[in-house]
Amino acid sequence: MISSAVLTRRAAPVLACVGLLAVWQVASLALKNDSFPTAIEAIRAIPDILGDRESLTNILASLRRMAMGFGVAVLVSIPLGLLMGRSRGIAAFFNPLLMVIYPVPKAALMPIIMLWLGVGDATKTLVIFLGVSLPVIYHSFEGAKAVEEKMLWSGAAMGLSSAKRLVRIVLPVALPEILTGCRTGLVLALITMITSEMIARQSGAGNILFNALDMGQYDTVFAMIIIVGTMGICLDAIFESVRARLVRWSEPQFDMPLSFS
Amino acid sequence: MKARQNGRGSNDALDGCENDDPSGRLLAKVVPLNVRAREAKDRMTVVPARSSEWMRPVNSQEPASAIIEIDRVSQVFQTSARKDHLALSDISLTIEEGAFVSILGPSGCGKSTLLYIVGGFVRPTSGMAKIRGHTITGPGPDRGPVFQEFALFPWKTVLGNVMYGPRQQGVRTAEAEAQSRALIEMVGLKGFENFYPKELSGGMKQRVALARTLAYQPEVLLMDEPFGALDAHTRTRLQNDLLNIWERDRKTVLFVTHSVDEAVFLSDKVVMMSKSPGRIRQVIDIDLPRPRRRNELLLDPRYQKYVVDIERMFDESDEAGPFS
Repeated sequence: MISSAVLTRRAAPVLACVGLLAVWQVASLALKNDSFPTAIEAIRAIPDILGDRESLTNILASLRRMAMGFGVAVLVSIPLGLLMGRSRGIAAFFNPLLMVIYPVPKAALMPIIMLWLGVGDATKTLVIFLGVSLPVIYHSFEGAKAVEEKMLWSGAAMGLSSAKRLVRIVLPVALPEILTGCRTGLVLALITMITSEMIARQSGAGNILFNALDMGQYDTVFAMIIIVGTMGICLDAIFESVRARLVRWSEPQFDMPLSFS
Repeated sequence: MKARQNGRGSNDALDGCENDDPSGRLLAKVVPLNVRAREAKDRMTVVPARSSEWMRPVNSQEPASAIIEIDRVSQVFQTSARKDHLALSDISLTIEEGAFVSILGPSGCGKSTLLYIVGGFVRPTSGMAKIRGHTITGPGPDRGPVFQEFALFPWKTVLGNVMYGPRQQGVRTAEAEAQSRALIEMVGLKGFENFYPKELSGGMKQRVALARTLAYQPEVLLMDEPFGALDAHTRTRLQNDLLNIWERDRKTVLFVTHSVDEAVFLSDKVVMMSKSPGRIRQVIDIDLPRPRRRNELLLDPRYQKYVVDIERMFDESDEAGPFS
């Protein structure tokens, strides 16, 4: 027997999606604008895209670059962030560099990077890498900084060297914070993936989207938006299930009832 | 835990049938090199030394030898205002093997800092601390800390926390687990092996922390106001349990506290410290019989006199100084 609270929690996301589509449908019918197709028209265009071999190759190429950029960024950023969090010297060296790069829109760097690396995979992957790495570094840094000194002392007393303490104490303790950064990074990876393909049109999901826009195929444009949005939801759900498994120890036991419920 | 029950404190001449590793280390001071080599081998395998190898009584040969020597230690901290603050001034103290020594003083007298120096977590500005004659340059498994903040590993279960030290020192998983389960039972947490630290109360966390430290068999326990964050009831229960556990192997304990009752109840020796700069005011031997029972001790006039005398001494020093 499923309790009503659980039912509400399960049904809520579905309800939100259906509601959004309904509002879209009504707004589109009311506005009667050629460049704003109805939700149903957009959804009808999805099978055409996913059925088309070339479109599918494009989307998969996007995902491959994203996975590559995200993966490398995480592998580089976590150790760097942890080292920064535990060593004032390293933090003092990297902090100004990161603060310079952080506010720059990564897409704005695209034209320059394109001059060096061309319009291919390398450029786009690099841009995704840059977009992902900063939040991951930042959160790893904060997570490592917050590790209780006495926890490290306890480890030192057991004979763990400082390198081992970093891997075997700082990393697990900071993991919830690191994963928060990775989640932000995942969203940013998706965003930079599309924008990079908007600037360097050659292949990818963004390429389909903006080509359709140029040709006035608005139902395809909106269908692509739905596809990208769905990719976002799915990636986030996968990430969340992995995250929940990794940091089960830090999760609160029960759902805290909100004050108004 | 059988191996630990017949450990050091006993003076029985033939008590060696299941001698304990730390006792083996003590021997290193007085026995020739070949035994030392064997001891080194034992330490590598980390299994407590086997009975037949140690037939000689250890303790009766060297009664009450110094295990920790603190030699003219001073500690200067930079305050946020960039001023030097003398936290510890010229502290010298010798702690004997198997003694329960409390460092008692008002907050801010540097008593925890002194403990951290012995732990090797903090380097003294001047002077030095030694363990068995070796200058302390960093933390090591011969000195096991227990902190007021518990400092448990939050991603590990109770069992995982307790097993961490032995595993780190190369004890096989099965063996480490058996030892750890026994320790968890000893600190009264049987049934909680698979709980995470956040699921435990403060008193239970501190029990885990104690078991985790005992698990890697340090020679000296360094306890930094371990019961300071607990409520009065839990606190007395943990004091009783700590004494019971301590009675089994009489490990050397250095215990920092600001509670006079606690210091007198637990200790063989109370080191009274004064504030700014932290200095040793007086060292008082607590001559009360062991094993100590709380209900008997509280009625004992000698216990009461110790408490009253020590409290009076602190009051006097407060009145002598400026009001703050």
